[in-house]
Formats: sequence, structure tokens, C-alpha cells
Amino acid sequence: MGPGDLEQILSALPEESAPELLTSLRTGEDAGVYRISQRLAIVQTVDFFPPIVDDPYTFGQITAANALSDVYAMGGRPITALNIVAFPCGIDLQVLEKILLGGHDKIHEAGAVIVGGHTIDDDELKYGLAVTGLVDPAKMTTIAGARPGDVLVLTKPIGTGILATALKAGLLTEEEMGEAVASMRALNREAADILNRYRVHACTDVTGFGLVGHLYEMVKAGGVSAELWAGEVPLFERTLEMVSMGMVPEGKKRNFEYAKNVDLRTKEEDDLMLECLYDPQTSGGLLASVESSDADSALEELRGAPCPRATAVGTVSEGPGGAIIIIHGRSG
Amino acid sequence: MADADIDCRGLKCPEPVLKTRKALAEGAGNFTVLVDNETARDNVSRFARTSGRDVKVTETDGGFLIAITPAAGKAEQTAAEVPMSCDSVTRTVIFVSSDEIGTGESELGVTLMKSFMSSAAEADDLPSTMIFMNSGVRLVTENEETIENLDRLTDRGVDILVCGTCLDYYGLTERLKVGRVSNMYEIQSALISAPKLVCI
Repeated sequence: MGPGDLEQILSALPEESAPELLTSLRTGEDAGVYRISQRLAIVQTVDFFPPIVDDPYTFGQITAANALSDVYAMGGRPITALNIVAFPCGIDLQVLEKILLGGHDKIHEAGAVIVGGHTIDDDELKYGLAVTGLVDPAKMTTIAGARPGDVLVLTKPIGTGILATALKAGLLTEEEMGEAVASMRALNREAADILNRYRVHACTDVTGFGLVGHLYEMVKAGGVSAELWAGEVPLFERTLEMVSMGMVPEGKKRNFEYAKNVDLRTKEEDDLMLECLYDPQTSGGLLASVESSDADSALEELRGAPCPRATAVGTVSEGPGGAIIIIHGRSG
Repeated sequence: MADADIDCRGLKCPEPVLKTRKALAEGAGNFTVLVDNETARDNVSRFARTSGRDVKVTETDGGFLIAITPAAGKAEQTAAEVPMSCDSVTRTVIFVSSDEIGTGESELGVTLMKSFMSSAAEADDLPSTMIFMNSGVRLVTENEETIENLDRLTDRGVDILVCGTCLDYYGLTERLKVGRVSNMYEIQSALISAPKLVCI
């Protein structure tokens, strides 16, 4: 679902509240956090979607990396996962076996275990996981908390929605989108470990709402505004080329409409890039609001190992909460 | 509802683009595409422009009628000359680190560079990316002849990366005419991952 529709439905439901519940559905947190003792809380999240690549094992890996990502975004450590499978009759069962193996391997790489699952018949294949993690409530990172002056750090390039559309259209092969596939199946664990050592005031992972959509949630939750530098945002190879070939997925429009209060100050040269900024991502990187004096060291460390293309993509400013200015490059 | 040559109402992306692409590949000159959502409108328009066509969009009852015509001044262009798909865009990366070709008399070097860009703009096989560094950034800021040819390459889908540090150094940041500002990370990654790299 588009973020706008989802927000409308959630706001119509009674709001959950319990003393142990440390997150709210209203603020667009990546995962729910429930305190079970003074030093321990569980982090819960669920994600599932239809195949975005052809290879079933890779699809399983990507799906699991994507589901785990919400736990990492909160600063947590995954412990268990449950499989969710919608599988059409008539497809070779080996396909499902490979998908589940991909998921299994990725969950184990994360140091968690798969403890069960559920399958249904459906017209379209879908796979996903519900993941549970642990976090120290005093150390968890939420989507709220970004402070004026912070630097916005993005750990992975964007463009997976556009490239997956091009793959579906036959304009690209899976090998040609290899950089994006490798990125989608890469865990955000090491990036989160590095970021946790710095003063990170807010963090989220970039997925279906696109970079601008998730940034919008962050600045809205934090009551601050942000400047986003379109010309700095790292893209996967061939993403702009595929935008110019008309490969923008439909989710882009929903994301564009969702992020209200965006002041576009880019010039024509950034028109193709703007499409990418709203592109729904699968298993995207972390978007962290980092204390400015920590940003350079954090970026250097991120680039040194897990995230060669980690980049500073903007800054946080004083309110009005939820406002975003998109310009070509850093100002001042 | 207007009559259209290709009715893409009810089709999900990327289907409308694929139908448009097929029509172009089959040599269609003037034709119209009817779509029922903005994403398809933008995608089909952008694809047609990338393929060297002029595009005119009219809002109709519940949709958009996209009229696709050969670009002005290119009326004689045949479908075969237009990049119909990425098939004609090879994965070659061209790395340009100077505003002249080779070492020798500067005048000759500059002339050769202009001539290279003009040939590249005419060629059937396109690189996927061109990277401009050091004094190469003059070719995308000051040199009108090369800018014109690079504009054509951009229209044909070539991604032009320009070193931001170099633009800064030469004080040319405000004068960028073609391509997009890039950084060493992207450039390094494009060079490393290029299946075929041409340095001039």
C-alpha cells in the first residue's frame, strides 16, 4: 500500500498504548518495541512481497535481508524469524525450497534462527518473514530524535525499484543489475554496528516509501526539517539510464504524493534524479541522522568496509516539522 | 474518449512503455498512446524523448493521450537510427581526463577532441557512460561544439558524469551545460565496474 493510504487507515484505528510499548504506529517506526524488563525489549517486524528478481535463492536472501533490516534500524539484534509464504499451485516445489533456503541462510548469517512459518495458496507467489530481535531500551535508535545540525548519512545507493521494473521489462538482465542485487541481499548489520558507535540521533531503513518518503517520516517524527542534496545521492549503475527509458515504477507517484511539504529547488538537470529519490526501495540502506562532528568519521568507517558508497546526502535544520528542501548540492 | 493507436488503459508499468517501444521498433512514425495514469504518462513520454521523438500530451476524459512524432529537424530519421532499447547502448565507459586528445600541439589536440565528440554523437554504438575529469570538464562547460554533441549523446541515453571537484577547481561549477555533477566514489565505481573502458 502507498504510505498515504496507510497513514489514513492507521489514524482511524484506536491508538495502542501500554506502559511497556516503546513505539507508536503513528510515528512510522520501522518495528514495534515492547519492553520486557528494564534492560531488555523485544523488537518485532514483518515484511513480505512478490519476487523482484528471477533467481529464487537470491529472492529468499533479499527478502530476509529486507525483513531483518527493520531490527537493525532500531539498533537491535535479531534472534528469531517466522516464514510467511503465499504459493500458487502448479509451480515447481523446488522453487519454494530455494527461496526458503535463501531466507534460511540469510537469517543464519544474521545470527538468528527460523522457528516456524505459515503457507497459503495464492495466485501470486509472495515470501516474507516476521522477525523478532532484542534491544536495550536505553540504546535503541528510533525514527524520531533527529536534531538541527545533524548530517544525514545514507549507507547504500538507491534505485532498486527502477532497476527491478527494467528487469521485468527485459531491458536489463539480473547480471546487469548485479550491483543492486548484491546490495539488496547485504545485511545492514555491520552498518548498524558502526553507526551505533557514533552519536546517531535517529535512524530508519530506506524501503517502500523511497528516500524522500522515509526522510519525511524522520523529520515529521522529530519535529525538524531537512535539506536533501539530490546531486549527492548515490545511485546504482544504470538507474538514470533506466529512468530515461521510462522504467519508473508506480509506487513512485504514491511516494511523491505522500511526502507533503517538499520544496523542490532543483534545476532541470536533476529531473531524472528526482524520480530516483521517490523510488520505492527493497532492502535499502540505513538513513541515519548523525551528530555533525561524528559524520566524517562514521562515513569513513562505513566506506572502509561494509558500505563503500555510504554518502552524506543532506542536513537537518530547525522546524517546521516535516519540511524538506531538495536542492542539487550542499549549500553554504 | 479520444481514439488512440495504442490503448494502454488498465495496463501496469512497464507495459505501456513496452508497447510504445514495440511500435517504434516496427517503424511507426506518428502515433498516439492512451494511458490512464500519470506514471505511465511520464514513463512513455520520457521513453519517447529518449528515443529521439517529440511528445505532446493532452489530458482526456480519465486519461492522457500522448502524441509521438519524429523530432523536429529529424523527420528523415529512420527507426533504425534511434536507440529503441538498451540493446544499442553498450556497457562501454569513456573516460575523458583532458580537453585535448594526446600530447603534442594543443591546437591539434583540441581539434581532435571536437572531432571525436562529433563522431561519438553520430555513432550507432553508444557508450553507457562518459566521465569528464580534470581539464576534460571544459568540454561540458565552455566548448560549445562539444556541448552540442554531448547534448545529443545525453538525449540518446548516455549518462554523462562530471567531476565536481574539477568543476570547482576551474571555477566552472555554475557553467555546467551538459551532464551531471558526480563524485570520486561514483566515478571510481563506474571505472572499476566497466566491462570496457576507453580512456582518451
